[in-house]
Amino acid sequence: MTKMENVAIADQVDESSHPTTFMSKYIWSQDHKVIAVQYSITAIAVGLVALVLSGMMRLQLGFPNEFSFIDPSSYLQFVTMHGMIMVIYLLTALLLGGFGNYLIPLMIGARDMVFPFLNMLSYWIYLLSVLVLLASFFVSGGPTGAGWTLYPPQAILSGTPGSGAGILLMLISLAIFIVAFTMGGLNYVTTILQARTKGMTLMRMPLTLWGIFVATILGLLAFPALLVSAIMMIFDKVVGTSFFMPAILSLGQTLEHSGGSPILFQHLFWFFGHPEVYIVALPAFGMVSDVISVHARKNIFGYRMMVWAIIAIGGLSFVVWAHHMYVSGMNPYFGFFFATTTLIIAIPTALKVYNWLLTLWRGNIHLTVPMLFAIGFIFTFTHGGLTGLMLGNVIIDLPLSDTFFVVAHFHMVMGVSPIMVLFAAIYHWFPLLTGRFLNNKLGKFHFWGTFLGTYAIYLPMHYLGFLGVPRRYYAMGETDFIPESAQTLNAGITVSAIIVGLVQVVFIFNLIWSTFKGKKSGRNPWQATSLEWQTAQFPPGHGNWGKQLPQVYRWAYDYSVPKVKDDFIPQNVAPRDVEYLTDDKNNNQRDK
Amino acid sequence: MQILKSLRVKPWLPVEFEQQTSQATGLLNKEKAASTALHFLLAVITVIFFLFTVTFLQRTQSFDFQALSGEPWLPFTNAEILWQNSAYLLLASISIMLAKKFAERQSLSAIMISLAATTLFTLLFISGQIQVWLQLNQSGFYITTNPANSYYFLLTGVHALHIIGGILVFMRCILLFAVNRSYQQLVSRLKLCARYWHYLFFIWLFLFFLLTSDADTFKTIASICGF
Repeated sequence: MTKMENVAIADQVDESSHPTTFMSKYIWSQDHKVIAVQYSITAIAVGLVALVLSGMMRLQLGFPNEFSFIDPSSYLQFVTMHGMIMVIYLLTALLLGGFGNYLIPLMIGARDMVFPFLNMLSYWIYLLSVLVLLASFFVSGGPTGAGWTLYPPQAILSGTPGSGAGILLMLISLAIFIVAFTMGGLNYVTTILQARTKGMTLMRMPLTLWGIFVATILGLLAFPALLVSAIMMIFDKVVGTSFFMPAILSLGQTLEHSGGSPILFQHLFWFFGHPEVYIVALPAFGMVSDVISVHARKNIFGYRMMVWAIIAIGGLSFVVWAHHMYVSGMNPYFGFFFATTTLIIAIPTALKVYNWLLTLWRGNIHLTVPMLFAIGFIFTFTHGGLTGLMLGNVIIDLPLSDTFFVVAHFHMVMGVSPIMVLFAAIYHWFPLLTGRFLNNKLGKFHFWGTFLGTYAIYLPMHYLGFLGVPRRYYAMGETDFIPESAQTLNAGITVSAIIVGLVQVVFIFNLIWSTFKGKKSGRNPWQATSLEWQTAQFPPGHGNWGKQLPQVYRWAYDYSVPKVKDDFIPQNVAPRDVEYLTDDKNNNQRDK
Repeated sequence: MQILKSLRVKPWLPVEFEQQTSQATGLLNKEKAASTALHFLLAVITVIFFLFTVTFLQRTQSFDFQALSGEPWLPFTNAEILWQNSAYLLLASISIMLAKKFAERQSLSAIMISLAATTLFTLLFISGQIQVWLQLNQSGFYITTNPANSYYFLLTGVHALHIIGGILVFMRCILLFAVNRSYQQLVSRLKLCARYWHYLFFIWLFLFFLLTSDADTFKTIASICGF
């Protein structure tokens, strides 16, 4: 047997390994922080495209037939591309590729990811997937308009917008994205499991890392379902197989397909699709826990329960997928099973909400911009979660499934809520990245505009759903059971959506302006305990830790510890170095 | 189990520092890290083939499904060529294991022979699979004529892609050895390559069984699975 190859990561400082040229530093960089920024900029840029698309949809819904450039086909294309970009190319990429990349090595006390080259490759392949997706706007027929769920048979049949090159580019782009995600994901889990610094046990990790860790495992196990369905649909489209295509008469012609099952695609899609909700939600849960704890100067309530809840939610997310398919028709016992599992998953989720509230309770709450967004998230998530409980029941879902109620529900729980956390996280960790604060006044304006604005959009949308206003429709036309006031409401929603969109322009301005002109933050401006704020150089440089890696002595939530001089004790402060208010250290039992 | 024990720790309680640090040493064991990543990759690959299999089993019960064996005129009633391909992949798997053994003994010529054998047998497997595809086409078993044919081409194609990915990593491993002549690194890399090869061999055996079963076998499996 050969000897195990151990590298003392504390001794890795080799000046020659630092990148020196512009290209190696900022373009072909293997530094996790640069890759995180690359991921973030790309994700936000493509997210802005999706935001504009949603604005176009809203223009049509609010003011039907007023805009000649929006026809039924382009409306469906906007819906499809908006959904897919937001869920996959923005949220997944920004939360895991952006924040995962930036925070994992810093929070566990590592110099970088375990496989830096693979990490770099992951970003460039992700960028390729984005370019392939965006290319579909420029091909004949435009991008696919099959809806973000891409259900066959209509997704690949003529008559659906973008059923030629558009759907193919979408499927190929998804396959490329999954390759990129797998490369990144293998890196994240391996780095967390194998490269933690001395003293950083699993249960001393901040909840941000737990969220990212479990979400990555979910992604690794769930994205293959999307890959499998994308490959099979490509075969159906290009080669003419019948994996998902039944015998079909299309536009008067009998097609050569036979015997395939469209429902099978739905099962595969949602076997990916539901865990995807938690791939987005779990990192958000983790990050919001840390933001709340830091800005309430209080340890997170029920840390162990929070970890267990993250794991439980991750496990349960694989056995609830068919609640997205109640209207497809299924055995009643199946419906009962999936309704039950859906209600069960609400238990660990509710536990997390209670723990966030109990962390705030009697905390020293600082209403900073990150904290405002974090508290806003508790509202929007509770709201979206409760309507989720309603839709999880078959009997309620059936009449509401094809209405705006569902759009309102999933935007509150999966759109607005993670975005609120992303904003909280950006405002919170921006000083770590740049050494500067984001502008506070603009930040508060951004928060109130976004928080109140999204409520102005989605609260009335629930009501539209109750009225029976169908989703996915280009225009209502003459519909007896829908009162005219519904259209007024729709116009109001559109105005709110445009205002919320414009408020995001203020945020982008703040981001760019503050990067260069923002108020200097100094080291550890929030007085946080977790390791990413404790680097020798601030903001952290290449290799993160200077000559020696930090050593961890405690968990990440030692805030307001009784009889200790400061109201926080960083994770890397040894018990002997803790400064107490009284001279008699023996009085303090906490840090013996 | 260690992981359950870890999850029960109460990190907020004052405990002796050393008690909680045993898991995290501050040392990066590169071989262990690569091994962890490989295990996760194998899990991903398992999910991919598992999902393909589930869809396949469901489809075996549709009215238009015609199994590829069981009747004299069907191509895999006599699956001799697939047995031959299986033997190639088995030999590749054995030779990569031998290469690792020889690397531990630092026996250069034996290493070279076994690495060449691995490459050769793997390429023979791939070319054998392509030959089967050509034969199926020549006999009129096109990819679209029957769902069983579609699945045969799809699953063997996806399996072959995984093998080709493995070959690329294997080639990199040989190249790195040619450059730095580190036997220790070669051993740890070959260990992981061997694990990947063995795994793909077992996947192939599973696919072999699955794709060449007759209609009665599918009926039994599907009824057990509830399709």
